[in-house]
Amino acid sequence: MARAVTLLRALATAYKRDWTALQSLAGNNFFLLTALLLQRAGVFVYLIAGLVMLFPLSTDPLRKIPPSRLPLWPLSRREWWLLRIASPWINPMTWGIAALAIWGAGRTLTFQLWAMIAGLFLAAFLISSLPLPRGGGFFRRVPNFPGPLNQLMRKNLREILATLDFYCALILSAAMLAFRIFGPPMPREALMAMTVLVVGALSSYAQCLFGLDGDGGLSRYRLLPVRGWQLLLAKDIAFLAALIPLLLPLAPIAGLGGALMALAVGHAPTVGRPQEQSRWRFTTGGALGNGITQMIAIAMTVSGIFSTSLWFLPLAVVVWIGSVWWYGRAL
Amino acid sequence: MISCRNLTRRFGDFTAVNNLTLEVGAGAICAFLGPNGAGKSTTVKMLTGLLPATSGEASVAGLNPASNALELKRRIGVLPEDLGLFDDLTVEEHLLLTGDIYGVPRAETHARTTQLLHALSLEHGRRTFAAACSHGMRKKTAFAMALLPNPRVLFLDEPFEAVDPVTAKIMRELLQSVARHGVTVFLTSHILSMVERIATQIVMIRKGQMVWNSSVTELPQSLEDHYFDLVETPVVEELEWLGPSRS
Repeated sequence: MARAVTLLRALATAYKRDWTALQSLAGNNFFLLTALLLQRAGVFVYLIAGLVMLFPLSTDPLRKIPPSRLPLWPLSRREWWLLRIASPWINPMTWGIAALAIWGAGRTLTFQLWAMIAGLFLAAFLISSLPLPRGGGFFRRVPNFPGPLNQLMRKNLREILATLDFYCALILSAAMLAFRIFGPPMPREALMAMTVLVVGALSSYAQCLFGLDGDGGLSRYRLLPVRGWQLLLAKDIAFLAALIPLLLPLAPIAGLGGALMALAVGHAPTVGRPQEQSRWRFTTGGALGNGITQMIAIAMTVSGIFSTSLWFLPLAVVVWIGSVWWYGRAL
Repeated sequence: MISCRNLTRRFGDFTAVNNLTLEVGAGAICAFLGPNGAGKSTTVKMLTGLLPATSGEASVAGLNPASNALELKRRIGVLPEDLGLFDDLTVEEHLLLTGDIYGVPRAETHARTTQLLHALSLEHGRRTFAAACSHGMRKKTAFAMALLPNPRVLFLDEPFEAVDPVTAKIMRELLQSVARHGVTVFLTSHILSMVERIATQIVMIRKGQMVWNSSVTELPQSLEDHYFDLVETPVVEELEWLGPSRS
């Protein structure tokens, strides 16, 4: 029994340390924007974010133990079952689901409610048994790009596809596409606001473009005979390749301008204060000031192109090229 | 091909490499030996242009690593300590990336990739992502990346660690073959038996100071004995609690 309790305690510590899914929200532009500006309307986007977050948050705590280690420990059958039954309750998600179910049912515990809690618990558990995408798989099949930076750009695109920011933007974009096809006509201003929101959803990633390369990747960059601006360019093209398809149902030209400004502002923290990121989490951006500057630049550029003149796009291109050249020198 | 005079690197008050003077000719296989923390990796970083020297001079493939780092990177192949692989690229994509970046023509890159994958028994895992590879596969991928651009100088950090005996033999023979064709090989290793078989020049370093530099034929005793005498004598302590007869 003591062995199982020791293990549970260790698991709880590991879980607490890995609680980056919620921590990352604090520095994410998308969540800052929805919290500060959208207020009540933000409930919709928070629901989307909640849906996207359910996947990594509902992981089984026992999976934190390396699979080659668990069978080697001298646990009796009783201790093993204790561990199996007790470990899911280390995950705050389990408590959250249970609390939500009780609250949702008017705080009365009935047989149906218990059944619902059990169902939710089982659903979360089943989701947790799905393997996180690692090896091959559909999402890793990315197109080839022309030029010698092809493989770097493909790698960068795969990294973006392993962040929750992308899926948040994807759901928003898909929802807008469905609305434009099946819903009533949309006011122009709403289209512009949604474009800012979709670019904003991915903009935190533009502040930490090297965050998913790991130590090995960073060491390889230093060995490759390429200039700093080429590394930044490979990152930026992958970012645009991920974002532009999501902008097609919205305002693509204005969105492109916003994306270029997000990258231009994001290069400073990318190069100056590189932050390691985790896969299948929301990206944590740099300092709050960077996030605010980035969001203002995105909103002004999108609104400038959308409402005033297309000439804001070449301006954004010039600013972006200048940023790639300037910050590329520091790499 | 590799030359350095009084090469020194300090980190604050700590001197990692102290007045290293060394010559390694074309076609030589130089084994750079020493315990962990002796200054081997710092030396390799200085010679490959990744770290500036505090003082002293160096020349690799005719270039000064400090002032011609980009051109130097085109002429050398490196197997770094941490292997330098991207989790989101497959084994094959790493090699294609290397060919593209080093300016090897596309058809030639494909031909060399196929040959290297075959030679290092990596064909079965060519589409495996680096994140899902075993340590041995990752090591072989990084080794193949170092060879693919046909460099003039090869820097290899622990090339034989964590590879199976057959692959170790293949790697050894590949290195001997490239050295015969004039490539200079500069390697660090803790597997002294392997070093004794492959190296033509032995350099030993301890606490940042070079303590031995000679051809392998000039060693006065076996490499292992000489290493223990000059660099570090192993001290084995008895652990009193080990054994079924003890509690």
